[in-house]
Amino acid sequence: MHATSWLALGVFALAYVVIASEKLNRAAVALTGGAAMVAIGATRGDAMFFSAETGVDWNVIFLLFGMMILVGILKQTGVFEFLAIWSAQRAQARPFRMMVMLVLITALASALLDNVTTVLLIAPVTLLLCDRMGLAPIPFLLAEAMASNIGGTATLIGDPPNIIIASRAGLSFNDFLIHLAPIVVVLVAVFVGLCWLLWGRHFTHDPERAEAVLALTPRETISNRRLLWQILTILVAVLVGFVTHSLTHLEPSVIALIGAGLAIVISRLDAEDYLEDVEWETLLFFAGLFIMVGSLVHQGVITQLADTLTTAIGTNYHVAAQGILVGSAVLSGIIDNIPYVATMAPLVHDLVGPAPGLPPGQQSLWWVLALGADLGGNATAIGASANVVICGIAKRNGHPISFWEFTKYGLIVTAVTILCTIPYVSLRYFILA
Amino acid sequence: MRAEELLEQVPIVLRETTGAEAARVVAEFRLTGLVVADDAGAPIAVVPGTQLLSVVLPQYVRDDPKLAHAFDERAADDLCRKLNTVTLGELLDAKRIKATQVPSVLPEDTLIEIATVMDQGHYPVVLVRERDQSYRGVVTMSRVLAAIATAAGQDSDLVRRRLQRDIIERGRSGVLTETEPDSAASQGLAGPTSGD
Repeated sequence: MHATSWLALGVFALAYVVIASEKLNRAAVALTGGAAMVAIGATRGDAMFFSAETGVDWNVIFLLFGMMILVGILKQTGVFEFLAIWSAQRAQARPFRMMVMLVLITALASALLDNVTTVLLIAPVTLLLCDRMGLAPIPFLLAEAMASNIGGTATLIGDPPNIIIASRAGLSFNDFLIHLAPIVVVLVAVFVGLCWLLWGRHFTHDPERAEAVLALTPRETISNRRLLWQILTILVAVLVGFVTHSLTHLEPSVIALIGAGLAIVISRLDAEDYLEDVEWETLLFFAGLFIMVGSLVHQGVITQLADTLTTAIGTNYHVAAQGILVGSAVLSGIIDNIPYVATMAPLVHDLVGPAPGLPPGQQSLWWVLALGADLGGNATAIGASANVVICGIAKRNGHPISFWEFTKYGLIVTAVTILCTIPYVSLRYFILA
Repeated sequence: MRAEELLEQVPIVLRETTGAEAARVVAEFRLTGLVVADDAGAPIAVVPGTQLLSVVLPQYVRDDPKLAHAFDERAADDLCRKLNTVTLGELLDAKRIKATQVPSVLPEDTLIEIATVMDQGHYPVVLVRERDQSYRGVVTMSRVLAAIATAAGQDSDLVRRRLQRDIIERGRSGVLTETEPDSAASQGLAGPTSGD
């Protein structure tokens, strides 16, 4: 490697450490890192903006942007509040049943929308339900953060790392449904069992308190029924668009943008309303990350690393897959899974190439990257964006969740879910393939 | 007119005052804000009355206002009763409410000087302190405007009354009055202080 490559690696490592330390705004760090890459000559304007391999992946940015607008408009209808209160009432306000309902809603919504927005919407209503029932909300909030990371693993749009992986690997929405959704269904069932062991068995039912939840009026939270049906229709159309990608050949980002555009026109909301939930910081963070990682690709650093790994792995993809699965889970617990996957995706791309057409064993490297990063995000409070959001909401409402309190449960959930995933990967991609 | 002619006595609350007591004081005296005193009873800051409304609301309702529609009467009453269990000091420490430090003027400062201080920081009230920092009272925006209206020829009985009658006197028939400092202290409220 020549001097510029070493400098680029240094800038990247430094930015990574600062991002992981969470001392500075992560978007500012990523963008500064990107600027530093330009300053040292590690990348150029055309490589940054007009190449998906060495620069900003606009598919990822605009898929996130479109979905953020859609979810932002859906949020205005109050449907999440309705669903959560309604489900708690269906559960007769029995604490564990209520937890299960909230876990299932969170997991499903995280798969169909995105997990950060889902927890942002579910957490306040959970606090309301726990407040009325006199229950400590922390177990519920922890369960929801973890359910959102597990549920989000199931689909292309469920978790930001999946969007990056899909774009780099050339994987479709259906590929995720076929390869990840089945194991996620099993993991959600296992997680419900874990919820009982970790928290549910300690709950006590107070019929008087339960009455307070049954007296709530969920229908009142629906602020605009007409808008609700319109947006739900558009969302279903968008999901159909994702599923029919093989027929239409429309990129998920294009479908999400069309859906967002339709929703804006139909809802007639003002710009500040539908742009309110766009996480500009997250989008800028992604852009900066792509530029930094792209610079390493541009400099051939990733290819060299991949060559070294290829020599080490040889044709033993089974061991490599399990290694990436466990390694990704461990590393995603320590650093945010988004920068981790942004770095690993080009590496896996150099190792095995785009996913379509690969033999199962080689293709499994893409799936274990998604599974490891998404499920590993549950390990600590900083492992995934949803965890950070939940801890922030809990603290603001007077129920702070310490790093170690999250980690105590997170490690158990991550270990169990990864242990369940190991035989799935072995059976599906190697033994039965 | 000078500050010493405009100053008036207003009800003062302490850190130990509960949220419910604070709400009652605002209601009794028809206040737009509360003057908060330090441990020694000297006024230091003002809490806008609207912030007391936000205290009634749980943070999760403030995060997601649509949840407010889900509350029935009983649940709403439960929320209001919680104001009895929390003091202004706790709310300030938890940053649930924010007290604004209020600037002070000297007793000899003129109407224009007072108006300038109020205008600079959009303060609805300023403290009047002697040069040795002893507290004399407050000048409220309504009394400043009453003085301005009089000077501009817009005099009336109500304007004159506003200039002559302190806010604290609105509570004469209520629980907290100038003549009942002990009663006020027993409820976690500071009686009006002259600063002498």
